[in-house]
Amino acid sequence: MHFDMQVAWDSLPKLLAGLGNTFTVLVPVLILGLLFAIPVALGRLKPGARSLPATIYVSVFRGVPSLVLLYLIYSGLPQFPIVRDTFLWTFFSNPYFCAWLGLALTHSGFMAEIIRGALAAIPPGTIEAAQTLGLTPRQILFRLRLPMAARYALKAYQNELLIMVKSTSAVSAITIIDLTAAANTVFDYTYDPFTPLLTAAAIYWCITNAIRLGCSAADRKFNRHLVRQ
Amino acid sequence: MNANPTFAAASAQPGTTAPAAISITGLNKHYGAFHVLRDINLQVASGEIVVLCGPSGSGKSTLIRCINHLEQHTSGQIHVNGTLLTSRAEDVASVRRQLGMVFQSFNLFPHMTVLDNCTFALRLALKMSAKEAECTAREYLEKVRVIEQAAKFPTQLSGGQQQRVAIARALCLQPRIMLFDEPTSALDPESVGSVLRIMEDLAQTGITMICVTHEMGFARRVADRCVFMEGGQIIEEALAETFFTAPASDRLKNFIDQVL
Repeated sequence: MHFDMQVAWDSLPKLLAGLGNTFTVLVPVLILGLLFAIPVALGRLKPGARSLPATIYVSVFRGVPSLVLLYLIYSGLPQFPIVRDTFLWTFFSNPYFCAWLGLALTHSGFMAEIIRGALAAIPPGTIEAAQTLGLTPRQILFRLRLPMAARYALKAYQNELLIMVKSTSAVSAITIIDLTAAANTVFDYTYDPFTPLLTAAAIYWCITNAIRLGCSAADRKFNRHLVRQ
Repeated sequence: MNANPTFAAASAQPGTTAPAAISITGLNKHYGAFHVLRDINLQVASGEIVVLCGPSGSGKSTLIRCINHLEQHTSGQIHVNGTLLTSRAEDVASVRRQLGMVFQSFNLFPHMTVLDNCTFALRLALKMSAKEAECTAREYLEKVRVIEQAAKFPTQLSGGQQQRVAIARALCLQPRIMLFDEPTSALDPESVGSVLRIMEDLAQTGITMICVTHEMGFARRVADRCVFMEGGQIIEEALAETFFTAPASDRLKNFIDQVL
């Protein structure tokens, strides 16, 4: 295995362009995944059979590999005339839309469980106190339960975030040239199998560590009440 | 037992002339097959200080939790300042507006400072401006003598300080009735005193109070009336002095012998 500094340097523009596409996929996925996950997490906390739809959602989207899901959305759905012959085609013919949808569904399955666990960890007495202070259920959810849950979830969210950064490489299967795919194209014309991949790995490493530092800073800010001074 | 003359007049004849702040009639509560509260009848006059005591599991906490609908009663009626408590959201909200509650485990919001704990409901429930809310919160934090801790988080405070913050947080909303659910049971002896002193000060202001407590000294000094519960029933209720010196039932006699 050898690393060619010149190849690494020359391929950098291509890799950074790929990195741009990685972020174009990643950011909407994180936002959409979070938005999908909150109602699912609340659904999971409903008593008895009423939690069933949310449970099915989680089991499906955590269970299906994201690669398979991307293929099904990008190549499978257009088999149906209702997708191919209506306004839906505007969306489903776009690989980015399919990537956002597919990865957001997977991401939301995992996020729903993180949020559910965090909501369940809130001491019931805290919520009772808010009730006796005259807050409405809606205020209690948005102003107390979700902010507290976000603090509890921060560590688990960091894990999920780092996994998502690297899972985005699945989108090369539906024609998007992300960072990993860009490294593969460099291999195609240099015949150097290791240098572009190692360079891409180094870029991933920088991103994930930046996220780690960001999460630590957020933890210090939002969970400072847990530190005895 | 009260130094405040205007208040002493109201408390001298509980439940007769003063309007009932809380009126409970024929209250029953079941947890599945378990009958927790049995035919509870209790009138609390406006301005009256009532202490609920009795052995663990006698239903004292459940009873006061029913009053602000943290527990739903199975049958019977609860009126709070004339409002009948049903499961309708408006009724629950209207009753809770008149009630403040203090819990055994403080239940402060752990991620908020002491000040934010107090301003939270003022801003959200009473729609006060941030400035107004802070002003009100500081006033009550001063009253419970934790004002110098205003910028700290609950975990940085002693148990007694946390409980006094919880009292201030409830008082900020100016409830007409305060419910205390074993407010000193989780505290060390030193902190117990600091919290009881605040509650005694509060009792002088003419507010209506129902306290579940095992602090018999406090009950004797501060309560107008004591209620003894066992097995989900009210066994005996009497003016504070009579309660301790001349208990009518054998069960209360035994209880008092054990706790005093």
